[in-house]
Amino acid sequence: MSLFKVLGEAYPMFLDGLSMTVRITILSLIIALVIGIFVCLMNISNNIVLKSIAKFYIWLIRGTPMLVQAFYFYFAIPQLIQGVTGTQFRIDIFTASLITLAMNAGAYISEIFRGSIEAVNKGQMEAARSLGLSYAKSMQKIILPQAIRICLPSLVNQFIITLKDSTILYAIGLAEIMNKAKVYVGRTMESFATYTWVAIFFLAIVTVLSLVSRTVERRMNS
Amino acid sequence: MTADLNESVKKENIKIHVKGLKKAFGKLEVLKGIDAEITTGEVICVIGPSGSGKSTFLRCINRLEEATGGEILVDGESITDRKADIDRIRQHIGMVFQQFNLFPHYTVKENVMLAPVELKLKSKADAEKKAMELLKRVGLEDKADAKPRQLSGGQQQRVAIARALAMEPDIMLFDEPTSALDPEMVCEVLDVMRELAAEGMTMVIVTHEMGFAHDVADRVFFIDQGIIMEEGTPEQVMDNPQNERTQSFLSKVL
Repeated sequence: MSLFKVLGEAYPMFLDGLSMTVRITILSLIIALVIGIFVCLMNISNNIVLKSIAKFYIWLIRGTPMLVQAFYFYFAIPQLIQGVTGTQFRIDIFTASLITLAMNAGAYISEIFRGSIEAVNKGQMEAARSLGLSYAKSMQKIILPQAIRICLPSLVNQFIITLKDSTILYAIGLAEIMNKAKVYVGRTMESFATYTWVAIFFLAIVTVLSLVSRTVERRMNS
Repeated sequence: MTADLNESVKKENIKIHVKGLKKAFGKLEVLKGIDAEITTGEVICVIGPSGSGKSTFLRCINRLEEATGGEILVDGESITDRKADIDRIRQHIGMVFQQFNLFPHYTVKENVMLAPVELKLKSKADAEKKAMELLKRVGLEDKADAKPRQLSGGQQQRVAIARALAMEPDIMLFDEPTSALDPEMVCEVLDVMRELAAEGMTMVIVTHEMGFAHDVADRVFFIDQGIIMEEGTPEQVMDNPQNERTQSFLSKVL
C-alpha cells in the first residue's frame, strides 16, 4: 500500500503509458478539429445532401457508446472488409484507436462549432452583408472571430473528455496508461496505489489544461 | 412632347422603384403588394403600427429579406432578380439597425474602416483617414480606439451611421434607429440623420418619432396590414389624414 514505493518502481511503465495517452489524445484532437470544421460547414450549408451526411454522422456517433465504436473499428470493420474483398485485412491497434477517438471527438466538436456560430447574434451577419461583404467574408471577418471566443470553454471541455475517454481504448489493447496500470496491478496486486497514481496523473493534466484555457479566455476578453 | 420629356426626367430620377412587392413568411403574408417610387434625394419616413410590415418593407430594399412577389429596381436595376449581384448593389445602400449591430471584436475605427478595406475600395491609410472624418462628423473622434461596448447606445448608433457612410452610399435605410435608445440619447442620433437629409441623401426611415418624421420627411408612407394605406407630404398624411386607419393610428401615437 505504499504510494511512493509503487511510484518509484512503476514510473517507467507509467511514463510509457502516459506518453501514449497524451500522444493519442493530441493526434486525435488535431484530426477531430479538422473533422469538426468540415462537418460543421456541411451541417450549416444549404446543400441537403451534405447536411444529411453531417447529421447522420453526428447521430451515429452520439447514439453509440465509444466502447462499441472502438470494437467496431478494430474488429467489426476489418472483418467486413475481409468478407467483401476476400483478402486478409487487419488494422493495427494504434490506427483503430486514433480513428475511434478522432471520429468520436469530431462529432462533438462539430456540434460545438455549430452551436457557437449560431450563438453569434443574427444582426452581426446582417450588418456585415448590408455593407456589401460576401457570405464568406462575413463569416471570416465577423462571425468566426466571435464564434471562436464563444466556443473556447466548450472546446477545452471536449479536450478534457477526449483525454479521459482515451482510457476506454485499453479495452482493445492500446498501451496507454490504464493498460499499463492494469498490467502492473496484475503482477503486484497494488490496486490502491496504482490507480491512485493514475487518477492523480489525470487530475494534474486536466488542472493544467483548465488553467491554460482560463488564461487564454481572459486574454481574449480583454 | 413636353409631357413626355418630364416623364422621362422623372423616370431617370427614380432611385428606388417598388412594384407590387409581396413578402410572406410561410403562410403569414406580411407585405401584400407595395408600390412606391422614391426619387433621388428624397427622404421617406415610414410609419405604422408594429407588425404592419414596415421593417420587412425596408429589409426587402437591400434584400435582407427575399421578396416572394413583385420587383424592386434600384437605379433601374432589378435587385429582386435571382441573378442580381447583391453584394455589389448593397455597397451603395447603407443600413442602420435598431440594435446597432456594431462588430464587438473591433474598435470603433475598425468598425468604420472594415468594409472599404475588405472590399478593396480603399487603402488602409485612406480608409482610416475617411473613418476619422466620419467619426468627427458624428462627434465621436475621441472614441476611435474604444470598443463598442464602452459606448452608450446613442454613441453606438452614431458609429453605426458612420460605418454605413464609410461605403459612400447614395441610399441610406434606417430601421427604427432610435427605438432601442434611452430618451435622452434619441436627439443626438436624430441630429446626425437630419444633417444627412439636408445634404441630399436618399433616405428611407422606419420610425416611431413622429415629430422627427414631420420635420424631415419629404413624403410619409403609412403602412398597415401589409400595404401603403396612405402616402403624401407630412402635412397631408400627419396633419390631415384621409384614411380612417391613419387617423386612428395617429390619434394613438401623437
